[in-house]
Amino acid sequence: MVDVIVLVKQMPDLELIKPDPSTGEPMVKNVQLRMETLSENAVEAAVQIKEKHGGKVTAIIFGDAQSPAIMKKAYAMGVDEGFVITGYTGNNPSYTARVLAAKIAGIKHDIIIMGNQSADSISGLLPGMISRLTGEPLLGNAVSVQIDGGNARVKRVLEDRDVTIMSKLPVVVSVTQETNQPRLPPVMQILAAGRKPINTEKAALPPEDYTKILSNRAPKSERKKIIFEDVDKGVPELAKVLKEEMR
Amino acid sequence: MKALLFSDSVAQGNQTATYIRGKMDLDMAVPSELKEKFTSSGSGRIYSLTGVLNAGNVGEKISEIFRTGYDYAFVDSTILGREVAGYLAIALGSKCVAEINSFEVTDGKARTRRYFYGGKTVLEEESSAKLFTVAPGISEASVAETKSSTEEVALQESPVKVEKTENKASTGVDISSAKILVSVGRGLGKKEGLQQLEPLVRALGAEFAGSRPVCLDYQWLGEDRWVGISGKKVSPKVYIALGISGQIQHIAGIRGSKVIMAINKDKSAPIFEECDYGIVGDMYQVVPKILALLK
Repeated sequence: MVDVIVLVKQMPDLELIKPDPSTGEPMVKNVQLRMETLSENAVEAAVQIKEKHGGKVTAIIFGDAQSPAIMKKAYAMGVDEGFVITGYTGNNPSYTARVLAAKIAGIKHDIIIMGNQSADSISGLLPGMISRLTGEPLLGNAVSVQIDGGNARVKRVLEDRDVTIMSKLPVVVSVTQETNQPRLPPVMQILAAGRKPINTEKAALPPEDYTKILSNRAPKSERKKIIFEDVDKGVPELAKVLKEEMR
Repeated sequence: MKALLFSDSVAQGNQTATYIRGKMDLDMAVPSELKEKFTSSGSGRIYSLTGVLNAGNVGEKISEIFRTGYDYAFVDSTILGREVAGYLAIALGSKCVAEINSFEVTDGKARTRRYFYGGKTVLEEESSAKLFTVAPGISEASVAETKSSTEEVALQESPVKVEKTENKASTGVDISSAKILVSVGRGLGKKEGLQQLEPLVRALGAEFAGSRPVCLDYQWLGEDRWVGISGKKVSPKVYIALGISGQIQHIAGIRGSKVIMAINKDKSAPIFEECDYGIVGDMYQVVPKILALLK
């Protein structure tokens, strides 16, 4: 039996974020939230461990009023119990990590799984933070996870090499997008998930200051945008620029 | 002011060191096997970390060194670097601002910029943070006049054991330091297409790079040539995008390029909004014509 905690992040659907034409600021207010891309891989990895070894999968979302819809998706994929912690302020990794760690401390587990780097904020700080806060070693950037005899073993992908690393349980594992193909739950499971209760509670810690946001706008492209639809006109121009830059 | 930089990437480490040393005194902490690669980085001292590196033992050691008298800690954003930074943020009790591509100190506060929403926006922030992860390509690396002194520092033994190491089938090329990149996307159509583009790469003294589908899904090129916000961020003099549509995650990886050229059959491809020079056409027909004029 292996008990798994999976940390799930919610994020706005990035394809639907458009900049306000007058200010360049992203219009996120009415953009629907979804399960963050790598969190889907993390849930899949957690459920696969349960299917192989037995045990329980508990999901935690630090989120808001929209989070139950995302938790229902986690349930449909095979998560057994879910906690939604409200009070998520976004873009404050150490506060997020502390709130999650406070909840993790009360849940029996052998392994904590999460995505390696979220698709929206791309900070990639949570795995290291959770490892330090829980005191459990990090097996990071895993493309495969195996559990045997009280040990976890992962294939960790680095820039120039792959390494197989292992440690005694409990451990923190962060997964990449290549680790698995998240399942599309069958309709029956989606319906059952809708009826399953979700535990909701407030964040155990008061909000913290992080940064003062001075601006958040779509970058202005300063590119020349000289586009040739006539190939024979474009070729000499590109060749000329290339020759200049090669000097 | 005094900064400590941890880097396990030769290319990124020298870029970041060049950027920081213009603003304050700099020391670096690096894996011992790379220590020789940073002697012209402009750092006064290089802490050469010996042992098997992981988030925990590096994070604890950097925290220890930082407390001996540094104002800011920077960590290059690599796979290990981001893990170290997370660990270090908690160990130091400091806020960490991630993936910065600009840094100034004004009235004791750090002003930083970074990409957000997967590269769709630029977030400009002011904070009292002491710790930052640095996105690749923050500046062009240059050689410093001063030489560094090296100090060996032993890392603690880790509960994480390394059982096997497989070096990736790589050509040893670091595309983040290439002057010209010929980058291919889905529009390549088939792996064999690379052979037809090779004369151009040779004539330009360039390197091949590719988009996510080309490097990860189809594996026509190695993963070490993947350009994008989660792959490598590049800043060549010329970035030539062939058959790349220009999804935001890709664009965010090439914004540091001096000149961007795009060749794509699809006139409405978003890459044409983010390039300096573009040709609407079939790369297999356009490339030989350009090559003829280069010779």
